Amino acid sequence: MTDTVERRALTPGQLLSVYRAMRSIREFEERVHAEFATGEIPGFVHLYAGEEASAVGVCSNLDDRDTIASTHRGHGHCIAKGVDVSEMMAEIYGRRTGSCHGKGGSMHIADLSKGMLGANGIVGGGPPLICGTALAAKIKGTGGVSVAFFGDGASNQGTTLESLNLASVWNLPAIFIAENNGYAEATSSTWSVASDNIADRAAGFGMPGVIVDGFDFFAVYETASEAVSRAREGGGPTLIEMKFTRYFGHFEGDQQTYRAGEVEHARAELDCLKRFAARVIETGELARSDLDAVDAEVATMIDKAVDDAKAAPLPTEADLLTDVYARY
Amino acid sequence: MGDAIVGVVANPLSGRDIRRLVTQASVFPTAEKANMIQRMLTALDAVGVQRVLLSADLGGISASVFRAIGRRRSQDGRWPEVEFLDGQPIRQTAQDTVDAVRRMVTAGARVIVCLGGDGTARVTASAVGDVPMLALSTGTNNTFPVVREATIAGLAAGLVATGMVPDGGAATRAKLLEARVGDRVETALVDVAVSTERHVGARAVWDPAKLTELFCAFAEPDAIGLSSILGQVSPVARHESHGVTARITAEAALQVLAPIAPGLVVRVGVRAIEPMRPGSVHPIDARAGVIVVDGERELTFEPGEQPTVRLRADGPWCVDVPAVLAASARLGLLRRAR
Repeated sequence: MTDTVERRALTPGQLLSVYRAMRSIREFEERVHAEFATGEIPGFVHLYAGEEASAVGVCSNLDDRDTIASTHRGHGHCIAKGVDVSEMMAEIYGRRTGSCHGKGGSMHIADLSKGMLGANGIVGGGPPLICGTALAAKIKGTGGVSVAFFGDGASNQGTTLESLNLASVWNLPAIFIAENNGYAEATSSTWSVASDNIADRAAGFGMPGVIVDGFDFFAVYETASEAVSRAREGGGPTLIEMKFTRYFGHFEGDQQTYRAGEVEHARAELDCLKRFAARVIETGELARSDLDAVDAEVATMIDKAVDDAKAAPLPTEADLLTDVYARY
Repeated sequence: MGDAIVGVVANPLSGRDIRRLVTQASVFPTAEKANMIQRMLTALDAVGVQRVLLSADLGGISASVFRAIGRRRSQDGRWPEVEFLDGQPIRQTAQDTVDAVRRMVTAGARVIVCLGGDGTARVTASAVGDVPMLALSTGTNNTFPVVREATIAGLAAGLVATGMVPDGGAATRAKLLEARVGDRVETALVDVAVSTERHVGARAVWDPAKLTELFCAFAEPDAIGLSSILGQVSPVARHESHGVTARITAEAALQVLAPIAPGLVVRVGVRAIEPMRPGSVHPIDARAGVIVVDGERELTFEPGEQPTVRLRADGPWCVDVPAVLAASARLGLLRRAR
């Protein structure tokens, strides 16, 4: 006889927070897309637009005890875990007021105070990190859960597979979120992932593997909720594969000659924000005016973040050697 | 004999949902689905099927069969000619199954085999028309599809497709449940349930506390899935013309332990058990919620929409594998001269 866990429905207030987070990510990314084209932003950016339901659906189940590790496409994970949007924008502009004082940029935004271990320029760099934090949480008995987001490209990296093994052997409170957006840079995952479904690999490591429609917030939320409960209660790790599409190229400037029509179809028919809004209005849980107010508030916030970032000072020569070495 | 064409549709996503996480449900790797199709091809060839239409997918099944055909050596024996139904957009949704099955029907398939769980069989049934289907289990609940060796399924499908086993008795007609919300309609082969959850979410149902009503086309005592709730208290066989319905409530005097999903045996309260007559329309009581078809949340409804459920006698024709092979034995179809 198995006990079933009574799932609590999200309150209207929680649904509004979910929408605000997803809208913030979308607006942030659309704006960075536009600003990057002006040449003012240094380095590379990889945009998360289209994938919002994954970051927000997972992170809505997390709290201050929990840590996440991200990818080169990390802005969405940062926002979903509560990293300050203005500091993120300043970081992307390489300003002293940024999350990492302007020395990291898009691919290294981190905020340990929020449990955000960092965006990561190394493909497959995140999973080993969360084995460490999950082990720490287990030993200290904090009840904390660690989540690694990674892509279909990273799913083929040794670091990821070693981490899945270690997490299972150590029975860690770890959750592996494979964000399969169909392409590792320009290489199709249907060609490069030998098991075809990344989730299929879970069985080989003795953990559950689940596939979720990554465009559907409610499906992601419910699945992540079960995985987080399982991890907190000592049940061990889970692998969840999100299937979806990124709306922009691998990086800004990618000509995307390897795909056609997918983004238009996804934006029109599958979009997580559109589907979420339509659904909560249909059920009467939220009103159109509630959502419109959030849209306006988020637009203002992003405008200000960009203005503040542009006006903020660059790091000085003296900043070059600060925070470079750590004393243990 | 004419063209003995068999259609095979395989769902790359079956057996992958949240039940792996909440109830330790089984995992069916893509590689095994592709292996099953290859074993079936061998059997289809053995009984004289010349042409197979195979669904195309992005999950790796058709690609794996395609590669296997290329690797096959002359001494491995023959396979029928396999035509991959590509050339149409693949959406990675249930619509892909509908599209593939319709193309098979149009192309003159005599039997359509589907590989998947209850959801795949349900979607195949909605598009198959009068062509007999054979549902093989590669999914989760598997109340409708059977767990059976693909080689045997291939022999049975081939014996029917070639006309060697005559139509009478080779296939039986299944019942069908039709759930309707306004002009939105979903069909189920086994059960329709009503949940007071507001969202489709992860689709599967594993918490009986949210269920209010249950309708079963049949309810077998050894079933897995929601129909098992009535299978132990008011069983109805597949061949009987009626179905059965009941209210689900924790306070009911009648309590039953039911295996509502693999790895999940839960206590469910049942009251107001009544037969369902073919054609009679049953209005749903809940004001708002989700209609669950064959174990998956599918149709949402809001106050004022008044959904209904109806039992229909005109479900899909299903190949009766034991009956086909028994007929083959009787007629000596697999005997060969020395």
